[in-house]
Amino acid sequence: MASLLNIGRPAGHVEGPEKVTGRAKYSADINLPGMLWGKCVRSPFPHARIVSIDTTRARVLLGVHAVITAADIPDVLIGRNIVDMPVLARDVVRFTGEKVIAVAAESADIAEEAVALIDIGYEELPAVFDPIEAMEEGAPRVHADTSRYKYAPIPPFFHGDNQILPPIPNVASRVLESHGDVQAGFAEADRIFEHTFYTPNVHQGFIEPHACVIDIPSDGSVDVWTSNKGPFAARSQFAEAVGLSAEQVRLNAAAIGGDFGGKGDLMDSVVAYHLAKSSGRPVKMVMTYAEELTAGNPRHAALITIRSGVTNDGRPTARQAKIIFNSGAYAAFKPLHTIHGSVHAGGPYRVDNVEIECLVVYTNNVPCGHMRSPGGPQVVFALESHLDIIAHELGIDPLEFRLRNALQEGDVAPLGERYHNILCRETLQAAADAAGWGSDKEPWVGRGIAMYERPAGGGSSSATLTVDANGRFSMLAAIPDTGTGSYTILQQIVAEELQVPLESISVHHGGTAIMPPDWGVGASRVSHTAGKAAAMVAREVREALVQAAARELNCQPEQVRWQNGNFVADTGASISLAELLKQAERIGELPITRSATYTSPGNYEEEITSYTAQIAEVEVDPETGQVKLRKIYSAHDAGTVLNPLTHQGQIDGGVVQGLGQALIEHLQIEDGVVSTAHLGDYKLPSITDIPELETVLIETPSGPTPYGGKAIGELSNVAVPAAIANAVYDATGVRFMELPITADKVYEALQASDNAS
Amino acid sequence: MKTINARVNGQPVTKDVPDNRLLIDFLRYDLDLTGTKEGCSVGVCGACTVLLDGQMISSCLAPAVFANGREVTTIEGIAEDDRLHPVQKAFIDYGGFQCGICTPGQIMAAKSLLDTNPSPSEAEIKDWMMGNLCRCTGYYKIIDSIKAAASQRSAQSGAAEGKV
Repeated sequence: MASLLNIGRPAGHVEGPEKVTGRAKYSADINLPGMLWGKCVRSPFPHARIVSIDTTRARVLLGVHAVITAADIPDVLIGRNIVDMPVLARDVVRFTGEKVIAVAAESADIAEEAVALIDIGYEELPAVFDPIEAMEEGAPRVHADTSRYKYAPIPPFFHGDNQILPPIPNVASRVLESHGDVQAGFAEADRIFEHTFYTPNVHQGFIEPHACVIDIPSDGSVDVWTSNKGPFAARSQFAEAVGLSAEQVRLNAAAIGGDFGGKGDLMDSVVAYHLAKSSGRPVKMVMTYAEELTAGNPRHAALITIRSGVTNDGRPTARQAKIIFNSGAYAAFKPLHTIHGSVHAGGPYRVDNVEIECLVVYTNNVPCGHMRSPGGPQVVFALESHLDIIAHELGIDPLEFRLRNALQEGDVAPLGERYHNILCRETLQAAADAAGWGSDKEPWVGRGIAMYERPAGGGSSSATLTVDANGRFSMLAAIPDTGTGSYTILQQIVAEELQVPLESISVHHGGTAIMPPDWGVGASRVSHTAGKAAAMVAREVREALVQAAARELNCQPEQVRWQNGNFVADTGASISLAELLKQAERIGELPITRSATYTSPGNYEEEITSYTAQIAEVEVDPETGQVKLRKIYSAHDAGTVLNPLTHQGQIDGGVVQGLGQALIEHLQIEDGVVSTAHLGDYKLPSITDIPELETVLIETPSGPTPYGGKAIGELSNVAVPAAIANAVYDATGVRFMELPITADKVYEALQASDNAS
Repeated sequence: MKTINARVNGQPVTKDVPDNRLLIDFLRYDLDLTGTKEGCSVGVCGACTVLLDGQMISSCLAPAVFANGREVTTIEGIAEDDRLHPVQKAFIDYGGFQCGICTPGQIMAAKSLLDTNPSPSEAEIKDWMMGNLCRCTGYYKIIDSIKAAASQRSAQSGAAEGKV
C-alpha cells in the first residue's frame, strides 16, 4: 500500500479544532430562547403500585411551567426493539429510579425544588432481583403479560428445531444456538469440565451524561438534539412514541461525549417532548451522573455456566454454555431481544459440537443496555477462564492448549461460520512472542492469556459530498462520530479517492432532516459501511468532475485522467482542478453535490472476521492482595490500519476499559438500589492505573472497509479481563470466578489458601 | 443575589447571580461559555476544570462568588487569536482526545501543569493529571500530548532566548 497518500498515515481528528477550543456543541450545550429545564421524580422503590399522586405544591411554585404524570400523556410504550417501557410509570414502578413524574421549570434549581414538592403514595410489591430466583415458579412477576409488547418474541423462546419449550417466569427472551451434536461430543470426551462464572453490572462511564433538548416549532414538527449514536433508529422510535411521522421529527447534529454502546436509546427525550408540548417552550433535560449510574442503561450482569468435553491430549469434543443475563426491569434499551455476545461462548477455537443457551431475564433492577461488544466481555471472561482451568488440569501450558485448538484456514468456527483469511493462530503467537511467554518470572508475578474474535458489522450508511468553487470538499455523514475518529477516516478515504489534500476536506454530521438513512454507530460497522459510503460518494464526485473536464478539454470522459490535481486528456491537453472549478462556477454548475448510500451484502459477515489476543502480566502483593497490572501485550489481526493514531486510540481505550472491568469497576446493586451512585464510589480507571502497553499489529489488506481495514473498536476491551484473571491465577494459584478482582478479594483468598495449607 | 466582578478570559465581567450559583453554571449559562463541561458534579472527573487566578479548580463545586475580584480562565480563553495554545495543538496532533467531552478539563489541567512545571516527567504528569478522568483514550495519548506540548514549549522558549 506504499502508493497511498493518506490511508495508513496518522492524522489528527478532523474535528480537533472545535473540540480543543470548547466550540464543539454537545446536546447539553444547546441553549434556546425561552428554554425550560426538565427534571423527573423517580421511584424510591424497586417494585410498587402507585396509589396516590399530589402535584399541587409543585404546580404553584413560581417558575414551574409544566408538571406531567402518565395520566397526562398517551399510553404508549417505548423500546429499541422490544417495546416494553412506559415514558412515565403508569400505575406501577418496576425499578428504583424509574421516572414517575416530570416537571419543567425556568431553571434547573426550580425544577429540582418542584420535584421535591411532589408527593407520591406507593404500595410496595414483592420484588425480585436475582434472575435465577426470577425464573422460579411463584416468583414475583416483573411484567404481568409480556405478550402484549410489540416485538416481544412470542413465545419468548427460539430453538433450532422449533421445539416447544415450557414457559419460564420473567424470561424476556431465550435463544438456543447449536452446531453439531453435543451429546455425541460429550460421549467422545475423556474428561468433562463445568464451571460457573459471574460478572456484575458495569457502567459505560462516558463522561457526558445523557442529555437532550426538544423544540416544537409552530408547525408541530420537532427538533431534537440528543446524545444518540443512531439518529435514524432514534427518529423512528421517537416519532412512534409521540404519534408523529418520521419526517416531522428532526434529529439534529450534536457532538456525543462518549458512547461505548450506551447512547443508542431515547432516554429522556420523549418525556422532554411532552414537557415541551405541555409548556409551549423548548425543554432541556440533562441527567445528573447519579441518575446515569442509578437509572441509565448499564452493561448486564451475567451468570455463565460452561461445560466442555475434552480428550486427554487437549482436544475439545463438545461445549455447552448457559448464559443468564439480568435484564433489569425492561428490555427497552436492548436493540435485539437477545444479547448477541452469547455466541462467543464457542470461542475462536475448534470444537465441532456446540450448544449455547442465552436467557434474558426480567428483574426489578435498573434496566440494562449495550456496552462495547455487548455480552462479549462477560462470556469471554467465562470461556477463557474455563479453558485456562482445563489446560492446567490437563497439564498443558495455557498457550499451547490454545495454539493446538486455534482456528486455522479451512476450519469451521464453533457455530458453523466459514471464515477465510483466518489469522487466529498467528495473532495468538504474535502476542506470546511479544510477551516472552514461558520466560522466567519473579515470585508473585503471573502471565495470563485470552482471545476474542468478531467481524465488522454490516448495514447501511449514507454520505453526501459537495465541492465548491474554492476546491473545498464538504462531506456530510448521516452517522455520528461518537469520538472514535471515524470522521477522520472518512476524510482520509475521500482524500485518497480524489487525490486532494486532507486539509481541503471537511466532515460534519448531517441531521436526519437532510440525510438519507443510516444504521448508525454499532457492531463495529462504522469504518466498513460509512467508509464504503464515503468512497462511493467520492467516486461520484470525481466522475462529475471528469465529465466537466472532458467538456472543457473537448474529449470524452473516458479519455480524461485525474493526476496530481490536473485533469489530463489523451491529447495531452490539461486543466487544473482550480481552473475547472472556476469555469464550472462561471457557467453555474457549482456546487457539485453527490449523495451515496452503501448497503452491505447480507452474507459478508460469514467471510471475514478479526482476532485479538491479550496477554496480561501482573504482580500481586501478598501482604495487601493488590493486583498491579505490569504490562499488557495486545495483538490484533488488524487488516489495513487506515489511521495508526486513531486505531491505536481504540486499542488504548479498550484495554483500559478492560482493566477497569477486571480490577476496579462494579456497579453495586443492593435490593434493587444502586449504591455506587457517584463517580467517587463507582470508580473508573484513572491515569495512575494504566499499565505499560505493547501493541502488535498483523496487517493484511483483507478487511471489509475500503482499503482492507478490519474492526477494532469492540475487539480491544473484550479479552482483557480474562487475561488478567488468568494472570492472577498464574501469580497466586487462586482462581477468581467473579469480577472485579479487587485487593480485598485477593487478600481473603490468599488468607484462605494459607489456612488450608 | 450577589454581584460578581471578575475577569473571564481577559474580559471584565459584571453580573448579578443567585447566592447559590455554582461557577460552572455561571460560566455555562450566565456567560454562555459552554466549553467547560459538567460530568460527575462531585469534583471527581475533572471535566469542569478551569483556572482561577491560574490555579486549577473544579468549577462544579466552586460557588460563582469565588470568582469575584479574580481572573477565570476557561478553554475558550487560551488560544491567542486563532493560534491554538501548544497544549491544544498537541492534543490534536498526538491523539489526546476522542469524544472530546473531558478534553477542556484535560487541557486546562495540562496547561496548569506546564505553567507550574515546564518539563514534567511521566510520573509527574500522572500525578498531576489523576483528577481528570477520560473513558476514551486510556490516557496513553494524553501523556504523549502533554510531553509533546512540553517539549514544543521548551523549544519555543529556547528559540526566544536565542538558545536554539
